[in-house]
Amino acid sequence: MEAPKINDGTTKAGDWRTYQRVLLPPVRDLHQIEVYEQHGGYSALRAVLNDGKFDPQGLGAHVKESGLRGRGGAAFNTGMKWSFMPPVDPDVPRFLCCNGDESEPGTFKDRQLFEYNPHLVIEGMVLGNFAITAKACYIYIRGEYASWIDHFQRAVDEAYAKGYIGENILGSGFSTDIVVHKGAGAYICGEETSLMESLEGKRGYPRVKPPFPAQKGIWGRPTTINNVETLACVPLIVNHGAEWFSSMGAERHPGPLLYGIAGHINKPGVYEFPTGMLISDLIDEVCGGMRGGKKFKALVPGGSSTPVLTAEQCVGATMDSDSLREAGSMLGTAGMLVMDEDTDMVAFLRRITHFYHHESCGQCTPCREGTGWLEKLVTRIDEGEGNMRDLDLLLDLCDQIEGRTICALADAAAWPVRWTIRRFRHEFEAKCKPAVFAGADLQGDGASGQLVPVV
Amino acid sequence: MDSPSPKPLYVPGQVPERRFSDEELVWTAEEQQRIDGWVAQYPTSDGAVMKVLWLAQEKFAWLPAEVIKFVAETLGLPYAKVFGVATFYTQYYKQEMGTWVLDVCTCFACQLCGGYDMLHYLEDQLGITKGETTEDGMFSIQEVECLGACGSAPMLQVTNGPYIHNLTAAKCDTLLAGLRAGKVPAFESVTLPQDEDDLGGNRRSDAEAVEAYQTPPVSETIE
Ligand SMILES: Cc1cc2nc3c(=O)[nH]c(=O)nc-3n(C[C@H](O)[C@H](O)[C@H](O)COP(=O)(O)O)c2cc1C
Ligand code: SF4
Ligand code: FES
Repeated sequence: MEAPKINDGTTKAGDWRTYQRVLLPPVRDLHQIEVYEQHGGYSALRAVLNDGKFDPQGLGAHVKESGLRGRGGAAFNTGMKWSFMPPVDPDVPRFLCCNGDESEPGTFKDRQLFEYNPHLVIEGMVLGNFAITAKACYIYIRGEYASWIDHFQRAVDEAYAKGYIGENILGSGFSTDIVVHKGAGAYICGEETSLMESLEGKRGYPRVKPPFPAQKGIWGRPTTINNVETLACVPLIVNHGAEWFSSMGAERHPGPLLYGIAGHINKPGVYEFPTGMLISDLIDEVCGGMRGGKKFKALVPGGSSTPVLTAEQCVGATMDSDSLREAGSMLGTAGMLVMDEDTDMVAFLRRITHFYHHESCGQCTPCREGTGWLEKLVTRIDEGEGNMRDLDLLLDLCDQIEGRTICALADAAAWPVRWTIRRFRHEFEAKCKPAVFAGADLQGDGASGQLVPVV
Repeated sequence: MDSPSPKPLYVPGQVPERRFSDEELVWTAEEQQRIDGWVAQYPTSDGAVMKVLWLAQEKFAWLPAEVIKFVAETLGLPYAKVFGVATFYTQYYKQEMGTWVLDVCTCFACQLCGGYDMLHYLEDQLGITKGETTEDGMFSIQEVECLGACGSAPMLQVTNGPYIHNLTAAKCDTLLAGLRAGKVPAFESVTLPQDEDDLGGNRRSDAEAVEAYQTPPVSETIE
């Protein structure tokens, strides 16, 4: 029997037109701690620490039950990730890292949380620390977000002053710290092991796994890494319950989601809806349609490393991991880039290959050299100097790169190349020089010799 | 990569060319206090190295060899280690830069919305190309990767600080004139489209400037 088709064109976001936002609720000055408290802020923390709503294992189990999946790209179940931490040993400190590096091209959602709802993130971090019994949470924010780091640091200071972080939080006996760490411009530091190296004050070279961070993380201690938006969901789950969370949006990938939508649309920006929104609803209704009434041509659904989809592939597809897998891509960070009919896919791919070449840390040969060759070949094609067989060479290069490196940056570099060529090959071919054969019978008089390809 | 690897700033055994005197290479009491606070945030003093490098860059404008050495001595770390960190991250300046560094994003969302048009416009206006500094030392232009503001593409960042969103040629002119007059651009809060309906625009009453989301400009470069 054939499996039922997932992408049948029905939305999984339910009645999204009347959706009430929870991650970025429409409250003015929510970034101020008093306003946040007036709107129920830190009540989840009180419920857990003062009223004993959950013990650490119970909180982890509840989050697992809610079905929350990481919003940083890999969509791994968060409660499950927490359960990988070894049993508590009072002599060994443990840490949580909040990943606010957000450098994947097309992704700009965490920035809105820093700006508009930082205390939700802080509350989530303290709850996360409680669930895994962490001594401290290090939040790594990319250095370019200097203004937002200041905003966030101010919020952390306010929370310290009010006793939500620090020694003996709310008189519960639980103590934990939050440290804001400023990056300095390196995409690779979003990769979890590279982030840990960077926190330790080193060059951001990813580590070989295993050992996994839960065994040996920062300073060799058990560590869990979660994205900013992931942790922001935790207080919501405590307040409203796992059932509320798991009943929202797509069944196997539930919850509220920040969609960062950019490109050739009328109203770009970050939108909050449940997961499982129809791509067509997002483009036509939410974002006010394509810019200048042009035709929709292609979509990158979740940051530059997710394979590009053609307009046909987007028909009936929704924004959750199952649906996008069927469509031929991934949810990634839900940073969507919409392209109209005038977009040159070769020039587009050329810029992506430049990005990955620039950001490769250089530890592994397939990545360091391979990303360079990807860029060189795509550039050559874009400039009209490429040959037809360069396309196959590019695909072969992707085979040589994927799965042969320490971290996933190399895969992330190869996927866009592979899938953009597969799905828009005609555009690449149109820019390539046709193969020329020496000795071809161009006159058609039958006088020419052997046919030898010269390119 | 675009640029060749930087020349070694400091070769052991050689005396590097000095830019700052010993009297200049000191922390004030207030700075030293901040550094001590940072060191306390990490299990080892290594963790504070990125923060101290940032402080050094704010103070000395860039990181020549003697400043890196100064940071290394402050934290009791080997010079080579701090040098390694300083050269890994792109935001630490290993060369002298202009007073204002214009980091123009041309990554894919900005590319589609005219990032290269803005880059070339600024290059024309200042008479330099990316990677260069104007003769009067006022401006440097760099082409950078996605800055996490794709919703307000094309955009740029001024000297590792404020973001300028939804760039147009006219906006570039205003920016350059303001910077020439020494005005640091104010923090701009970009409204969320859903807030237009629910809140009537900006939700932060303390933001000095508000930039509405808007239909991205039409790019000339990518067709
Ligand atoms: C090259 C690379 C870059 C990454 N960049 C980020 C990032 O900027 N932000 C992020 O949250 N996760 C990023 N990730 C994913 C993290 O490694 C990690 O999976 C994630 O932070 C886990 O959080 P989550 O479970 O909450 O999603 C990146 C992964 C790779 C391979
Ligand atoms: S895959 Fe690339 S980025 Fe990742 S460790 Fe290897 S060289 Fe570095
Ligand atoms: S592509 Fe320019 S900010 Fe993201």
